[in-house]
Amino acid sequence: MPWYLYLALKQLFPAGRKFPFFTAISVLGVALGVMVLVVSTSVMGGFGREIRRWTVDTTGDVQVRADGGINRPADFLAQLTKVPGVVAATPFAEGVVMLEHNLKPSYPAVRGIDVERVEAVTPLSKYIYFGKLDDLDDDSVILSSQLAAAIGARVGDKVEVYSPLLIEALKSDEAYLGRELRVCGIFEIGHQALDSSLVFVTLRTMQDLYGRRGSADGFDVKITPGLDPDEAAARINAALPPALHGHARSWMEINHDLIFILQLEQNMIFFLLTFIIIVAAFSVTSSLLISVVRKTREIGLLGALGGQPRQVAACFCFQGLVIGMAGTVTGLALGATVLTFRDNIVAAFTRLTQSEAAIERFYQFKQLPAHYSASYITAIIVCTITVCTLAGLLPAWRAARLKPVEALRSE
Amino acid sequence: MNPAPSSSATDAAPVLQAAGLRKSFLSGEGSIEVLRGVDLSVMAGESVSVRGESGCGKSTLLNLLSGLDTPDAGTLTWAGHPPRGDRRAAFLGMVFQSFYLIPELNALDNVLMAARMLKPPGAAERARAADLLARVGLAPRATHLSTQLSGGERQRVAVARALMNSPQLLLADEPTGNLDERTGDAVIELLLELCRETRTALVLVTHNAVHAGKTSRHLSLHNGVFQ
Repeated sequence: MPWYLYLALKQLFPAGRKFPFFTAISVLGVALGVMVLVVSTSVMGGFGREIRRWTVDTTGDVQVRADGGINRPADFLAQLTKVPGVVAATPFAEGVVMLEHNLKPSYPAVRGIDVERVEAVTPLSKYIYFGKLDDLDDDSVILSSQLAAAIGARVGDKVEVYSPLLIEALKSDEAYLGRELRVCGIFEIGHQALDSSLVFVTLRTMQDLYGRRGSADGFDVKITPGLDPDEAAARINAALPPALHGHARSWMEINHDLIFILQLEQNMIFFLLTFIIIVAAFSVTSSLLISVVRKTREIGLLGALGGQPRQVAACFCFQGLVIGMAGTVTGLALGATVLTFRDNIVAAFTRLTQSEAAIERFYQFKQLPAHYSASYITAIIVCTITVCTLAGLLPAWRAARLKPVEALRSE
Repeated sequence: MNPAPSSSATDAAPVLQAAGLRKSFLSGEGSIEVLRGVDLSVMAGESVSVRGESGCGKSTLLNLLSGLDTPDAGTLTWAGHPPRGDRRAAFLGMVFQSFYLIPELNALDNVLMAARMLKPPGAAERARAADLLARVGLAPRATHLSTQLSGGERQRVAVARALMNSPQLLLADEPTGNLDERTGDAVIELLLELCRETRTALVLVTHNAVHAGKTSRHLSLHNGVFQ
């Protein structure tokens, strides 16, 4: 090892001292910055992943809709499954109903699904924790967990469902009775909005409620794993008959605004929190500058022993690099630890501030999501090590400028 | 007091040759000329002492001879070549009044630091450093940090460090200035003995007449020139 690297390590981790205090403080400053960056970007990445999860798990990778509905779903399904990259598709119909139980009304979104086909596209069963998807028939309904809790409905209870046809019937002075449906299941997806205001019925029940006579609003589509959803949507659009006036959109396009805002927030957080690293780097600069002043005579000695100014500079620059690397490794470890125990930390915090419900309502998730992004972690590592190495440049420059004769004379 | 080498050494090329060295420093609005044309030639194996009053320019002269500072006028050669920074580690060793050991290193690593200036040390360099420490009587203290050594021990480590690369020239700037008389005598004896053994040329700046008397040639610097 060249002498300047050897000496840099010895100055950072002096022999005979169990705890290199100055080095530890500098490393800790950088590590805290890295930890905050890792945690923030990973949580933001987790939100993005959650959006993908609940979107794809409830509506598929691609969704096809037609302006006037799809009147012959079976024929359209045959056409759709011929498109390259389409693995499976299932029809759906959507709307809003009034749902009542024990005189407690609610106004959830209702989704009519094809029980035979839906599991090939969306893994609905895994979110149903009371009852079974197979129990869903034309006289039953699956409620979301918070909605069921709000109206006090349990599996086996009966609920009254009123569709917008009620208003049409009232206009015509006709009597309209609500549809009585049996609760056959309760689901929870982990997204507050879905878990509080969505119910599933069969496609036929939905067609009856809205008087649609065999038509569907659209199809949820599952594509070949690894295929770009936008590419799959483009292929489907190219295959759609013009008379249908339909349009296929990927889950990313459907949630474009939300994903864009999340990505923007993630980038902004990365940008803003990078300043923590820069502040930590200033402390590295400060501590190395103090080191240059304290070691002025030693620097003079290095010149007297034959050390060149550029080698003296490298000695201090290398110290910045080592602090950056040590801080990055420590920060990554701290970040991983915080993320591992994030739910415990959030639970403790919300208990302390009595804000469990508010947090869940605001952020839509029961648990704090996190996803490590290789690109962000790489950016954090590169950014931190670069900034810390640059932080060593000023002390290195000061050290290299010292004339050995004057340095040896200094008091 | 003759700046020329003794007759016994004149048949060899000089390790150090200085001619007409001049150096002045700015002081207030004027300048002070510290050295006014110093001539010096030192042969291999020769030891030269330089004495003079405080502030007469002894340390300035050593700085010029070591190439750490540049003269205003005059010429200097190291074994016939102009001094160069990248040759310093191999050509000369220096011993200072204040030892200047690196506090983060133990005695052995301080000695090895001189070797590191040339290349990463191997087994041979480590053996030599250990041997030099044994020669200066510090083998049992090799793993002690410099802060755990006494003044005399530190200076002996500095002597071993100065000789680590088998230099042709050793410059010692008042090496006993911070030591008591008995320890100082021992360090000078050791320095002279090691230089004799390795035929290293020695320029010793000292106030001590007894120490100066032990060198093969004695010079006195007065008013910026050798008397």
